[in-house]
Amino acid sequence: MKRTHIVGIIVIAVAIAAIIGSLSDSSTYANFTEAFENQGREYHVVGTLSKEKPTEYDPETNPDLFVFYMLDKDSLEKKVVLHKNKPQDFERSDQIVIIGKALEQEFHANQILLKCPSKYEDGSPEFQTPEEIEAKKVTV
Amino acid sequence: MEYVGEHLLPGKLGHFFVILSFCTSLLAAVGYYLAVAKKNSDWKFLARYSFYLHSLAVIGIVSTLFYMLANQMYEYHYVWKHSNNEMPMRYIFSCFWEGQEGSFLLWSFWHVVLGLIFIWREKEWEAPVMATFSSVQVFLSSMLLGIYILEHKIGSNPFTILVREDPEFAHLPLFTMPDYLENLDGRGLNPLLQNYWMTIHPPTLFLGFASTLIPFAFAIAGLWTKKFNEWIKPALPWTFFSIMILGTGILMGGAWAYEALSFGGFWAWDPVENASLVPWLTLVGAGHLMLLQKNRGNVGLAMFGLVLISFVLILYSTFLTRSGVLGETSVHAFTDLGMSGQLLLYLVFYLALSIVLVAVNFKSLRSTQVEEPFWSREFWMFTGALVLFISAFQITFSTSIPVINKIFSLNLAPPTNAIEHYNSWQIPFGIVVLIIIGFGQHLRYKNNNFKQFLNGVFTALIASLVLSIAIGLALKIKQPFHLFFMFASLFAVIGNIAYFIKILKGKVAKAGSTIAHIGFGLMMLGALISMSSQENISTNTSKFDVAQLGEAFSNAENILLMKGDTLQMGDYHVSYLGKEREGVNIYFIIDYFLKNDDGTYQHAFQLKPRVQTNPRMGNVAEPDTRHFLSKDIYTHVTWAILEEEKDDPNEYDEPEIQNLKSGDTVYLKQGIFVLDSIRRLSVDESELRANDIVVGAKIHFWNFDTEEFILEPLWVLRDTNSTFSIPAENEKANIRVTFDKINPSDGSVDLGISFKKGKQQDFIVMQATQFPFINVLWLGCIVMIIGTIIAIYSRVKLNSKSRAK
Repeated sequence: MKRTHIVGIIVIAVAIAAIIGSLSDSSTYANFTEAFENQGREYHVVGTLSKEKPTEYDPETNPDLFVFYMLDKDSLEKKVVLHKNKPQDFERSDQIVIIGKALEQEFHANQILLKCPSKYEDGSPEFQTPEEIEAKKVTV
Repeated sequence: MEYVGEHLLPGKLGHFFVILSFCTSLLAAVGYYLAVAKKNSDWKFLARYSFYLHSLAVIGIVSTLFYMLANQMYEYHYVWKHSNNEMPMRYIFSCFWEGQEGSFLLWSFWHVVLGLIFIWREKEWEAPVMATFSSVQVFLSSMLLGIYILEHKIGSNPFTILVREDPEFAHLPLFTMPDYLENLDGRGLNPLLQNYWMTIHPPTLFLGFASTLIPFAFAIAGLWTKKFNEWIKPALPWTFFSIMILGTGILMGGAWAYEALSFGGFWAWDPVENASLVPWLTLVGAGHLMLLQKNRGNVGLAMFGLVLISFVLILYSTFLTRSGVLGETSVHAFTDLGMSGQLLLYLVFYLALSIVLVAVNFKSLRSTQVEEPFWSREFWMFTGALVLFISAFQITFSTSIPVINKIFSLNLAPPTNAIEHYNSWQIPFGIVVLIIIGFGQHLRYKNNNFKQFLNGVFTALIASLVLSIAIGLALKIKQPFHLFFMFASLFAVIGNIAYFIKILKGKVAKAGSTIAHIGFGLMMLGALISMSSQENISTNTSKFDVAQLGEAFSNAENILLMKGDTLQMGDYHVSYLGKEREGVNIYFIIDYFLKNDDGTYQHAFQLKPRVQTNPRMGNVAEPDTRHFLSKDIYTHVTWAILEEEKDDPNEYDEPEIQNLKSGDTVYLKQGIFVLDSIRRLSVDESELRANDIVVGAKIHFWNFDTEEFILEPLWVLRDTNSTFSIPAENEKANIRVTFDKINPSDGSVDLGISFKKGKQQDFIVMQATQFPFINVLWLGCIVMIIGTIIAIYSRVKLNSKSRAK
């Protein structure tokens, strides 16, 4: 066997290992039901902030602890304990991705990604000027 | 309706240029193709002038768009979307390339510049190379067309869409006024882009992207005209130019992330970063295989593969970042503008073209059956290029998880700890590449005397081993992989220094590649040290035990600083002085002190991390970094009270109800509160009547300046059924106490204690990280760039010499 063949085989082996490695390192998107059934396993959960329930952040006692309630895509609500500082602009987010695991009745997240309202969504607030109010009167 | 003040001419002119640029690029592509296919110089002449005209058109588009941005013509959608009155003019460039249209335009502009230089310098290869070149311009120009063909929108035109005609906004009452422009302001630039790095990083990166087209077009030309090797020599300087510029662009992105984003580092393996790193890796491999093919031959297939895939990967990276497919996985991907189909077509076209041309010429490209000796430069250069390719493959695969999800409708999420995931693969690849770099130059082509070779590298090997143990001990690096990586990068540096001194005898003109390799080694060394021994110095100083929640969650990275307090943080003592508002920015002023041996504090430096407020797109925190020769101190505010005190500071907050008996003491945040006694009083006050029963609660309050205050709120029973309280206040202590209730059963009373709102303290939550020796990384970058420039220069000189012969 030629040396280049050996090198080729090694290359293919490493490439396959890389595929398997990255698939096994990858996490899964899940809803709360699945995450709470598999306690302690790591998941990405996508959802929205539950606006009715209060959020708790007391940086004076612990700046790395933030508690809120989140609704997953099936509108199931769970308490989320984020072991990080409360992200600035948290209330503005319209979508939240939390990464962590369920422990008993709480979801403990160590990472959070926020999606703020898209710039391309709608343009109307830009025009809330006194002139607009006047213009509205004109159209009436 | 007649609208007042709209400027319609620039839009019409701009659109004219767009159409002109599309048509001329098409003509140039066809012309150059026919010039090669029919070996006809008339076609070449026509194509060349079409390309000149195309260049004029592209420059026309760019100038028109700048003119519109500079004059704030908000009637145009692009201008309205990416700028506003508030924005300083120095960010006009950032506005230009914030949108997809602008960044395609920038890309197209660099192609034009490179194409013109190419036509001027490389007459011999003009027609076959410029054919591919012009065809790429056809695709890029079509991205700006903005016309509908069979209900499919082709491109997005930055000129024609007037805001008032946009279906999204047309119904708004504002546009019923003829002079709506008087009241219209733009949406403004994303705060993340309002940074000087964003003025220089995108043009450099796009020049890098654009320059990868030249080796690609050369390779296509070589396959097409069956001159499989002749193209390599003229293509080499262009290829290394491309490697240098693309590398610089990527590093500037890292510098931007480090200086302006709160990533907490210069490299986070973000999908967008990865997408531009991957083509660089394959192009570096390609460049080395081109050298190998030129000097020794036998690697044609691999060389063509890497050169062609590098450009295809550039297109793939554009597709990833522009099509919106990355969506939730990346912070800074673009949203889809409906051009993903077009981008995919672009990608598939050049991928298919590459595959077909390689397949057609497969037989001629196959290597001859000669075995390379193990200790030869060609064997290790080839192996190094292969490792780069696998490294690129691994990054591409992991980054493509969202794409894999789309194709196979899976539900995979990217690795939770991206940095760890990529490092665990890339560090071993890095070790192999660095070691090859370290000894590769000491090997000659063909057979080597092993003893002689060993002599050459032995000193370097021992020196790097000793140094890496010493540095590892000094910086307490324990991770074996990190130590091994450090040894490898030191070996790359020292091995090349040894080569420079011993073999090249210090001749700089010949040492371009050696210097570049030294730079790469230094860069890796700096990256490793600053990453592996970076230290979060802002551990939580609160009493709350985070570790009780489980080991995985002990995540104390933040420190809380009260205004005026001084806390210890790492080797420093830090103090938060307050905030300053300047335009849209709020600066948080933080003083760093060093404690002297005699216990006094010495002011070390001041940092001002800021938060850029942007009600529309969200606030953005920007770190501030203090640079020392041996380390950087990086700070960023993670949470702060941004509002100016909206409430009247003289208002009292919600009272806290305390149930107390005589003699009880309460410890409050604001001081110590003691209920001294409760007594019946006969008070003569205007509010009270003769038959009222009045009870007073005598209170002592000490604030933290140990001043004592005496207060006596009253409880009143009137006509046996109604009760009320007359609160007691003290302006100096900012306290107010109400006497709410008497509990006859145990003789206790309920007191409501409240303090003035304005006296609540301002505070910030902050993160601070120490990056040791990060300057080695930046030094390495500069050395690598200089080395590459020397190498390009000597090769250009060599080429023009051989041409003169």
